Amino acid sequence: MTASALSSSGSNTIFDRFRKLNWQIITVLCAIACVGVMMHFSVSSGAWTDMPLTHGIRFAAAMSVILIAALVLDARFWLAIAYPLYVGALLLLVAVELFGATRMGAQRWLDLGPLSLQPSEFMKIAIVLALARYYHQLDARKTGTVLWIVPPFLMIAAPVGLVMHQPDLGTAMLILMAGVVVMFLGGLLWRIVAAGAVVAVGGAIFAYTSVLHDYQRDRVNVFLGITDDPLGAGYHVLQSKIAIGSAGLFGRGYLQGTQSQLDFLPEKHTDFIFTMIVEEFGLLGGFLVLGLFAALMGLTMQVALRARSLFGKLAAAGVAATVACYVFINTAMVIGLVPVVGIPLPIISFGGTAMLTVLAAYAIVLSIDLHRDQHGARGWLW
Amino acid sequence: MSKRGKKVGSTLPKRDANVIFSRRAALMSFVGAGVMGAILFRMAQLQAENLISQQYTAAADENRFDTRIVPPPRGVIFDRFGTILAQTSKDYLVAVIQNDVDDMEEVVGRVATILGLDSEWARRAIIRVRGGSRYEPQPLKEGLTWEEFNAINVRLPELRGIVATSADVRAYPYDVVYAHPIGYVQKPTQRDVDLALEDPAAGAARAMYLRNPQVRVGKAGLEASMETVLHGDAGWRKVIVNARGVEQGEDETERREPVRGSGLVLTLDHELQRTAMQNFGEQAGSAVVMDIHNGDMLVMASAPGFDPNLFVNGIGQADFDAYNLDEKKPLYHKTVTGVYAPGSTFKMIVGIAAKQAGVEDDWHVSCGGGFYYGGRTFRCWQRNGHGRVNLHNALKVSCDVYFYQAALRAGPERIAAVSRQFGLGEVFDVSVPNIRAGLIPDPVWWRENRGEPWTGGLTVNYGIGQGAMGVTPLQLAVMAARLGNNGHAVVPRLVRDAPGVREPGPAPRMNGIEAEHLARVRDGMFGVCNEGGGTARRAGDLQLVRHPETGAAVEITPETRGWEPVQIAGKTGTAQVRALTDALRGRHYSTIEWRFRDNALFCCFGPWHEPRYACAVVVEHGGAGSSVAGPIAREIMRATLMRDPSRREPARLAELDAAIAGGRA
Repeated sequence: MTASALSSSGSNTIFDRFRKLNWQIITVLCAIACVGVMMHFSVSSGAWTDMPLTHGIRFAAAMSVILIAALVLDARFWLAIAYPLYVGALLLLVAVELFGATRMGAQRWLDLGPLSLQPSEFMKIAIVLALARYYHQLDARKTGTVLWIVPPFLMIAAPVGLVMHQPDLGTAMLILMAGVVVMFLGGLLWRIVAAGAVVAVGGAIFAYTSVLHDYQRDRVNVFLGITDDPLGAGYHVLQSKIAIGSAGLFGRGYLQGTQSQLDFLPEKHTDFIFTMIVEEFGLLGGFLVLGLFAALMGLTMQVALRARSLFGKLAAAGVAATVACYVFINTAMVIGLVPVVGIPLPIISFGGTAMLTVLAAYAIVLSIDLHRDQHGARGWLW
Repeated sequence: MSKRGKKVGSTLPKRDANVIFSRRAALMSFVGAGVMGAILFRMAQLQAENLISQQYTAAADENRFDTRIVPPPRGVIFDRFGTILAQTSKDYLVAVIQNDVDDMEEVVGRVATILGLDSEWARRAIIRVRGGSRYEPQPLKEGLTWEEFNAINVRLPELRGIVATSADVRAYPYDVVYAHPIGYVQKPTQRDVDLALEDPAAGAARAMYLRNPQVRVGKAGLEASMETVLHGDAGWRKVIVNARGVEQGEDETERREPVRGSGLVLTLDHELQRTAMQNFGEQAGSAVVMDIHNGDMLVMASAPGFDPNLFVNGIGQADFDAYNLDEKKPLYHKTVTGVYAPGSTFKMIVGIAAKQAGVEDDWHVSCGGGFYYGGRTFRCWQRNGHGRVNLHNALKVSCDVYFYQAALRAGPERIAAVSRQFGLGEVFDVSVPNIRAGLIPDPVWWRENRGEPWTGGLTVNYGIGQGAMGVTPLQLAVMAARLGNNGHAVVPRLVRDAPGVREPGPAPRMNGIEAEHLARVRDGMFGVCNEGGGTARRAGDLQLVRHPETGAAVEITPETRGWEPVQIAGKTGTAQVRALTDALRGRHYSTIEWRFRDNALFCCFGPWHEPRYACAVVVEHGGAGSSVAGPIAREIMRATLMRDPSRREPARLAELDAAIAGGRA
């Protein structure tokens, strides 16, 4: 410990650093990915189709890359690229707005020849890093003043606005919540927090219940993606609730979920995969999977708490909050607590983008943990 | 920058970012735990609700279970000796699963090419199929031949989404031969569904059943009238389906097997029925053979026939038009719905009525080729006249002038009464739909329906079976049978053995018909077929002799020399279908338009020495009864007498049904 404080990455060899990696987090991530592979095997009706194989291979490949990244890149690297990354992501979002490709009714993709990018995913990480960077260098006493709230507020508002316009409500919410959490942890004054919460919640509720007419509310719902297809969305949640409600404590058994296996449950490989887990493994299975995510967030918060630099703390906690938002919104959505927005269950739902985003975030977390004793520079540039 | 920092720092309270972070991180963790707790609680709550109400379990079951109706196998229809006339067999068909097809036009077009069908068929097939499920096979073409089925099968790899399969279908192996008595089944129509819905108790379930695409109901003939007997009880299967309704499995504990419909044993004899239909050739008409003692109909032929198999899966417009627009009316069951003027075959009735009115055997009429009455001349068919005739000779030569006068002596009321006693004008329930009564007019009817008094001229015309009156071939056969059995009121029947059908008792004697009167008329009929000058001398000569020991009718061969002949007694009839103008009169019939030609009739019974069978033949627009209807009746009677079906052991339904059920299990 003391030795590592002397130099940037210490006198440790790569092997030492490999040994010192946060293997608990890696284990939990692997366990969650295993659940994913298992469920995709079930989605394929018990066959080794492309889906479970792709999921497993994708995870293994991404995991290898982030381990190398965590070993090679130290916390100062992330600090250094925080602002450039953010600015780059913001420029890409603007580019999407101007030149983006429309897929499935939303303009989210940037076609770069063979490569297609979804810049809003970058932004989920970039916003956490950028705000962590901002509060890392900001004098703690200044965080309380109104003037110094304006830059982070703009930093959050710009990407949220752009992503909302795509429209992608789910991602916009995740960016917003990750940003707000980092601001909060960075030391936002309580009275501002409270005032902001009251204004946001009260205004929204008032507008939704009193000001708007029914047809306007429907339009808002449609615009927000709550009911882009009123019958469809209701059907999804209804089938999901039927599956969960009828599952029982131990579920219908692996590969035996009637709602999932007979396709009554839509989007079972992506947004509604948690329903399938509960249907086949019961309340207990749902508890266990949520437990894995709880463990992941706990371990991530632990990384945050023991990091020496404020940047490290805020970045790790920001990642934990982002993942928590993913998990909470997704699971709350499938049991009908919140409206249906397209947010997958990280590392379990099928699809490369969300998995890459979350694992990239964990490259940062693992790197911060490995180099937790670095103070990091407290300046604008380094 | 540090300077400025100090300056600001002096005015603000001291804050340690790390401490704030730790506190707030802890707070955030609690909030996160709370949210997770809420989610877990909500999940548990959903299951707790379900524990009480079972609502989600029920909803999940409703999703995945579907009750599929299994139509019962329809009862088999047999002839009197057990020949299968209608049964359930395999139908080969080609179907399409729309969801698996990339280009519907292309793939259906290729199927059409393989089957030799045109693009118009393909276009219609696509329209029809589009209305059905995307995921279940929708039939494109049913009733494929084995060759067509194989042709599709070998090309299946290149026909994505096409399936070649088989299904149960009602099949009529002798198609045209039984088209009318047996009829056919079809898919229930919207009208059937609407009718079912009128029953408040079971209507909804019945309507749902009728909407099942596999269900067929009887639409014509016995298939329609015996529907409840033949149909059987539907079974069901509780199947597991996916969200698209495609069957994935079955809960076999909930299965109820369908109950096969009961079979029917008919009175018809397949050999004779086929002989009768063949003898009509291209002609239109009807033939009936009856057992004169028990009323069993051995032949119930209506020509031309049609192919009932075409109707089972829905007949095409072209086929239907070909039948429907044919002037020989193949779809029409002439035996029970065809109403014809009986012509001279009615003269036995007039003869009996005249005898009842006191006409003696030696009452002679002088026929000079016409009879002047009421200001006009009623002509005899024999324009040169028959000379002096009594009842016997008048029947034998079919003298019209005699019966003009006999009718006037008998009077219309008596003629009508005797007609009705012999079954004319009566609806005989032979278990098929749409049986018509025909018409036996009398003065009361005339006044009520025509609004004018009966005239003597009408009576004169009555004497030769012309005018307003009309009888069905079935009634004509009953008349011949009642003459043949010496005045017993035998009633025809078509179904020998079926649930609820009982063996009829012996036919009662008819009241007021004296044996002596009957004997005179029967002698006259014998003369028609067997004496010089008889109008059916040729048709009536069967060329059959009786085996001296067994009594069986056999064809004449050198060895049969000296054996007694087998003879019949009958009567010809040639009935005008409209009043002939003088221009038409005398013209050779082949120069007259078909639909204006006379109807040819013949009725008879035999064998003379011990009558057992009666036969009636009507040939629409055939011309003369003696030359057209007579020969057909001769062939039918020859076959009947040689075969002598009434003396053979008939088949029993219980055994036949058991064999069918066993063969299937």
